[in-house]
Amino acid sequence: MTGHDFVSTLIVLQLAAPAASLVVIGLPALFDRNLSETATRRVVGGGFGVGFMAGLCMFAVLASRRFAPEIVHAGTWFRVGHHEATIHLVADALSVPYVCFSSGLCWLINAFAGKYMHREPGFTRFFVLLAVFGTGMNLMVLADSIDVLFAGWECVGISSALLIGFFLERTNAIRAALRGYVTYRICDVGLLAASVVVHRAVGTGDFDRLFGPEWPHAPCLVSSTTASIVSLLIVFAAMGKTAQVPFSGWLPRAMEGPTPSSAIFYGALSIHAGAYVLLRCGPLLDASPVASTCLILIGAASAAHASVVGRVQTDLKSMLAYASMTQASLILVEIGLGWRVIPLVHVVGHAILRSLQILRSPSALHDRHELEAAIGGHPQLGGWSPLAWLPSGAREAAYRIALERGYEEMAVGRFVVGPLTRLLERAAEAESRWVAWLAGERKGTRM
Amino acid sequence: MNASTDHSTDLERMLADAAHYLPAQGPIGVFIHHNTLHAFEDRPFEQAVIDAARMLKTEPFLSETRYREELARGRIRRADIDAVLAAEAAGRPETTLADRRVPLMELHRALLLHAVRQESDAAVRWTLTESDAIERLRPDLAPESRRRFLTADRAGASIRRDGPTVIDGPTVIDDDTAEVDDERLACRALWHACVEVMARARPSILHPRPPVRHRDLIVAVAPMLDTDALVHPLLIRLCAAFLDQGVAAWTMPGRESGLFQSSARLLSGRLGPTAAWSRSLPAAMRDVLGMTAEACVERELANLGVPRPEWAAFVTESLLALRGWAGMIRQFEERPDRAPVDAVPARLVDFLALRLVCDRIATEWCGRRMGFRPNGTDPWLGGFRSELLDRFPPHRGPGTLARAFRLHQVAQLVGLVAGDIQSLDENEVLRLEHAITSFDATTRRRLFHLAYERRHRIEILDALAANESVVRPASVEPAARPTVQWIFCIDERCESFRRHVEELGAAHETFGTAGFFGVPMYYRGLDDWHATPLCPIVVRPRHTVLELPLEEVAGLHAMRRSLRRRYGQITGSVTAGSRTLLRGGLFAPLLGAVAAIPLVARVAFPRLAARIGRTASDLGRHRIRTRLAVERQADPGFVSGTQAGFDLAEMASIVRRVLEDIGLTSGFARLVAVVGHGSSSRNNPHESAYDCGACGGGRGGPNARAFSMMANDPRIRELLAAGGLVIPADTWFVGGQLDTCASSLTWHDLDLVPAGHAGDVARMRDCAERVATFDAHERCRRFETAPPGMTAVEARAHVEARSVDLAQVRPELGHATNAVCVIGRRQRTRGLFLDRRAFLVSYDPTTDSGGTILARTLAAVGPVGAGINLEYYFSLVDRLGYGAGTKLPHNITGLVGVMDGHASDLRTGLPLQMVEIHEPVRLLVVIDAAPETILTAAGSLPAVKRLVENHWIQLVSWHPTTGRLSVYSNGGFVPHVPERRDLPVVDRSIVWYAGHRSHLPPARVLAAMGPSRHAPGVRA
Repeated sequence: MTGHDFVSTLIVLQLAAPAASLVVIGLPALFDRNLSETATRRVVGGGFGVGFMAGLCMFAVLASRRFAPEIVHAGTWFRVGHHEATIHLVADALSVPYVCFSSGLCWLINAFAGKYMHREPGFTRFFVLLAVFGTGMNLMVLADSIDVLFAGWECVGISSALLIGFFLERTNAIRAALRGYVTYRICDVGLLAASVVVHRAVGTGDFDRLFGPEWPHAPCLVSSTTASIVSLLIVFAAMGKTAQVPFSGWLPRAMEGPTPSSAIFYGALSIHAGAYVLLRCGPLLDASPVASTCLILIGAASAAHASVVGRVQTDLKSMLAYASMTQASLILVEIGLGWRVIPLVHVVGHAILRSLQILRSPSALHDRHELEAAIGGHPQLGGWSPLAWLPSGAREAAYRIALERGYEEMAVGRFVVGPLTRLLERAAEAESRWVAWLAGERKGTRM
Repeated sequence: MNASTDHSTDLERMLADAAHYLPAQGPIGVFIHHNTLHAFEDRPFEQAVIDAARMLKTEPFLSETRYREELARGRIRRADIDAVLAAEAAGRPETTLADRRVPLMELHRALLLHAVRQESDAAVRWTLTESDAIERLRPDLAPESRRRFLTADRAGASIRRDGPTVIDGPTVIDDDTAEVDDERLACRALWHACVEVMARARPSILHPRPPVRHRDLIVAVAPMLDTDALVHPLLIRLCAAFLDQGVAAWTMPGRESGLFQSSARLLSGRLGPTAAWSRSLPAAMRDVLGMTAEACVERELANLGVPRPEWAAFVTESLLALRGWAGMIRQFEERPDRAPVDAVPARLVDFLALRLVCDRIATEWCGRRMGFRPNGTDPWLGGFRSELLDRFPPHRGPGTLARAFRLHQVAQLVGLVAGDIQSLDENEVLRLEHAITSFDATTRRRLFHLAYERRHRIEILDALAANESVVRPASVEPAARPTVQWIFCIDERCESFRRHVEELGAAHETFGTAGFFGVPMYYRGLDDWHATPLCPIVVRPRHTVLELPLEEVAGLHAMRRSLRRRYGQITGSVTAGSRTLLRGGLFAPLLGAVAAIPLVARVAFPRLAARIGRTASDLGRHRIRTRLAVERQADPGFVSGTQAGFDLAEMASIVRRVLEDIGLTSGFARLVAVVGHGSSSRNNPHESAYDCGACGGGRGGPNARAFSMMANDPRIRELLAAGGLVIPADTWFVGGQLDTCASSLTWHDLDLVPAGHAGDVARMRDCAERVATFDAHERCRRFETAPPGMTAVEARAHVEARSVDLAQVRPELGHATNAVCVIGRRQRTRGLFLDRRAFLVSYDPTTDSGGTILARTLAAVGPVGAGINLEYYFSLVDRLGYGAGTKLPHNITGLVGVMDGHASDLRTGLPLQMVEIHEPVRLLVVIDAAPETILTAAGSLPAVKRLVENHWIQLVSWHPTTGRLSVYSNGGFVPHVPERRDLPVVDRSIVWYAGHRSHLPPARVLAAMGPSRHAPGVRA
């Protein structure tokens, strides 16, 4: 077996293993024959475990070759005219460490959830969605064409939305899931449009036609206009999953789901999906100062928003959601500044730290009592903050803004959603009148 | 002036009345079990749960389906149903229905034993076309009633008879096709008869009382508009910010001016947009700035157009709509001393005022949306409200088809054939129908519940009687001096531990008493930063006890403390910093990867990680020997107004009282082990609910330690001896603590044990370790994730891992399954396997003349036991209304409680994972005393009297000399008639429980029986 074949096998294994576990537990569930809890946990865990091991092997192989990128052509997905969507996967200095990290984390969360979800009526559903997520994540990370990336991206999105609404009997959970889903869909338009633009520009979705293969310092192969358009669209897409202003309202609500899925989605992987895609398309950003500037502005605004709003949150999970948002926004700023390795390290470090904190959140009282006992009193929270410099009137106003979550939801609700629904209502009204008029006319002519 | 004072007292009274119905759960860090429906205790239990269900929109009992399942599997028997129906009918004249064909009781019996679906008209129409429900007789008919239907129709006429089961015209039909045809004919004829009579008779139309709140009226008229859905998110945010005990880095400005004024200040700001509904809220808030909450409530009630007579109901309903938060505010108002950090100036009236302003704004918005045009007058909501009342839809009862379908089903069950139905006149039809409908689901569930409890009661009482028939003769012979006497908490989780101790041999005796061991104190351990009360919640301690390091290790202690503080400050600031922008941005890339170590360790190797963590954070704690300062110190120095330590007389009276309570006044062993209990777990906001209830949700180890120190003190023994209570000089008390989650034991002050007792103590500790292992094994039978074939050692490791695992939502099962409380001599129950379901309180009636000891035992045990039992009852019968629902989406908020997800009402009560295996029965309190003694003792205690007389507990007298059992019922005692006199017999507990996960009936465990007691019976 040549080195290339070996790496191809490993890459395919990384996708196939979680996908196979999905089939093994998902198929019987379709016929109402759920596997036992232990079997479910083991099958899904096995899928992630194999993926993780394959990732480690690949890391070793690649490290021995100084991370020379390896591209695997796994066939063509579909062809429309002379546009073709190829299934190209890549193993390079970005995707391999990231895939190890993401499958390892999935493996761990799987072990956690096996105990946590015990006796829950939706046990199998949870693991099916976790497997969909894991497969989608690996697909997204290993993608070397924008079409494959989009497929992975969608798997992540749909599993995330369905897990927010995991507790089907609770209205709030379903509302939150719907909100997350709608936000995702709106921003997905960006990625889809980017895909169309890329196909239009180079005739295929492959990344190697857009930029060179050596991550992170690859040359951009398309005109700066195309690069700008594509990267602006990708920035738009990333704004949804990374919960950037003004699309951030869904994130605190997403904590309606079970704790382990909150940890892996909103503390670790899903929240950074946008950052990953931007890192992958880094050469395009490098070629487009406009997009980079936009990214920095959006990231900075969101970081400021999230850190101020986060300071007034009184429940553990919302507080952690805003803390996640703060760091994820900061990472976008770093990417916008043209850094590549620092944001990657930041993503990994933040994901591990935050998911541990979310998993520990139900033990917060216990931890708090231990901390108080250790320091002999109540801890001073937050420490120093620039807000302390504000005059008291301004501080009160700032508190109100933070308590209302920066008026983001109200503004979006009143100035975007409200007019839009009113417009749709009017349109529906007009349509029915129009139809009635048409029907009346026809009746008239017949008579 | 006068009038306004009247109003304000009115308002105060209204609020006080309404507050009564709010959940009385305090901040979650200290969880105390109490009766969820404490406010209804002045009514009889059955009435109270039904009233509460109506008021709070909750469930009074388990679902009917669940009871039917219990009936099907034999947990409820037909005999129980008959007995319950007979008791219900007692004292009422016998009634018959349908021209004296059907006795009322027969109808009730049929409706209990067979499920009759009440379906809507549409569903009935569907059933008629899609199924053969009117072609076939019900499959659950008895063969003889079935035959009667077939023959009756063949005869073509109705046959009069005396009862439904009597068979007339016993023609046996052996032709299958003929039978199917007959069945179709009979069934259709019956259906047509039912439709015909139902079409003729019309029941009166029901006019339900419309709700008082605008919100409920609006939802009834326009289901898409819900003012609560608009107002609650805002209210929750404000309440959470106001009550926050230290989650948010930035506290609410102006908290000290109260919820109402601080919120009004915030919301009146002119900055920023508002939501569509709340556009006029800032202006409204500016109006009420500086106004008192009371005045605002009155003004808003008037603005909302609520007629004055309805104010009380309106206020109550408005508070109950967000009752978790309202209740927490009330708790802060009433018990500021229980606030974890900041006793914020919370007032329920502030909450009400804020809520009413928001409600008014939201109602106005809905009114405009619904097209209501105010006709110029300023407070126009009164007009809107009357319009809503006019449009409130009347309740339509079931239509003719649905009624006929129900009658068709019931007629089959009670044996009314087509001819019988046709012959009824309109009046009789309506009577019959009324009899069916008035025996509604709630009534059926109530009777089912009584039957369910009856079966359990009979099983336990029979077992007690049967066990005693073996034990009694043995009690006369004097036993040799016991080796160890063990005093435990009464907690039902200690039952198995005690049984396993007794299985070690007859030389071990056990006792049970409330787990604070008579020592009510504020306690500050070496590692604690403040003193916490360790005593029942109703008691306010007057003494503070500190744990102090010995002189020789004081230096080490100081060093350790500063090290610990430094460590705490670093971890605390890293955790807090990781949530901020700048420090988080620095820590995450630098330290994030390091967090992988605890993440992997915690998830994949919880037990190992916890051990390492414990060793690390221990920092040499084991090298610092300490003493409790139980004796009165010279310098009090406590701000709480308590005294430091107890004086000698107080200590002597504590020791005397506990020993008298449990009847241990002579025959002391060389060693007395006093074991308190607590529970440690992770991933568990309700952790303190698993601790000792008698210590007010704290851990009883320090109390056991203090008690032992007192009992060992020679000066105290002198005082006791002077009062006639002689503790032999060679008796030594050792205090310890049992962790009921990890099944582990710790012992205190072992360095004080006299040399002569060292061997005894070592042996005792060995025994305790072995017993803890057995106990863990017995506990594991309930855990589905513990494999059935586990050895005892594996079981011990399993429970230890559970207690430290972040992923474990069921670290232990707490008080689940509790059902019985036996107050009496242990020798009467010794050897009985009670499945960790019984509180065991030691009490010796032979040394208690006049029932004074019983009275004080009941005062301590009655409300605590009933509180635990009833909280489990309610949290199970309505998991969301009374309980906290599933734990998985719980989110700790403000360190005061949990919400579901990011913005919900505070969830009070117990989570599903704590109660799911519980059997909801009222506590069966069996007292080793004569009925008169019990009535006298209970009569002197108002709290207990109320529980007994209103049947919130089931009270049984177990006569100390005759052994007769009698059950309390409406002021008197009714003798218990045993059903079975034998009891399964096994050698050891493990033989009885091995391989079973569900509840087990009592059995006799020979190994635990005690000295030279022969035990006849059947071996299982």
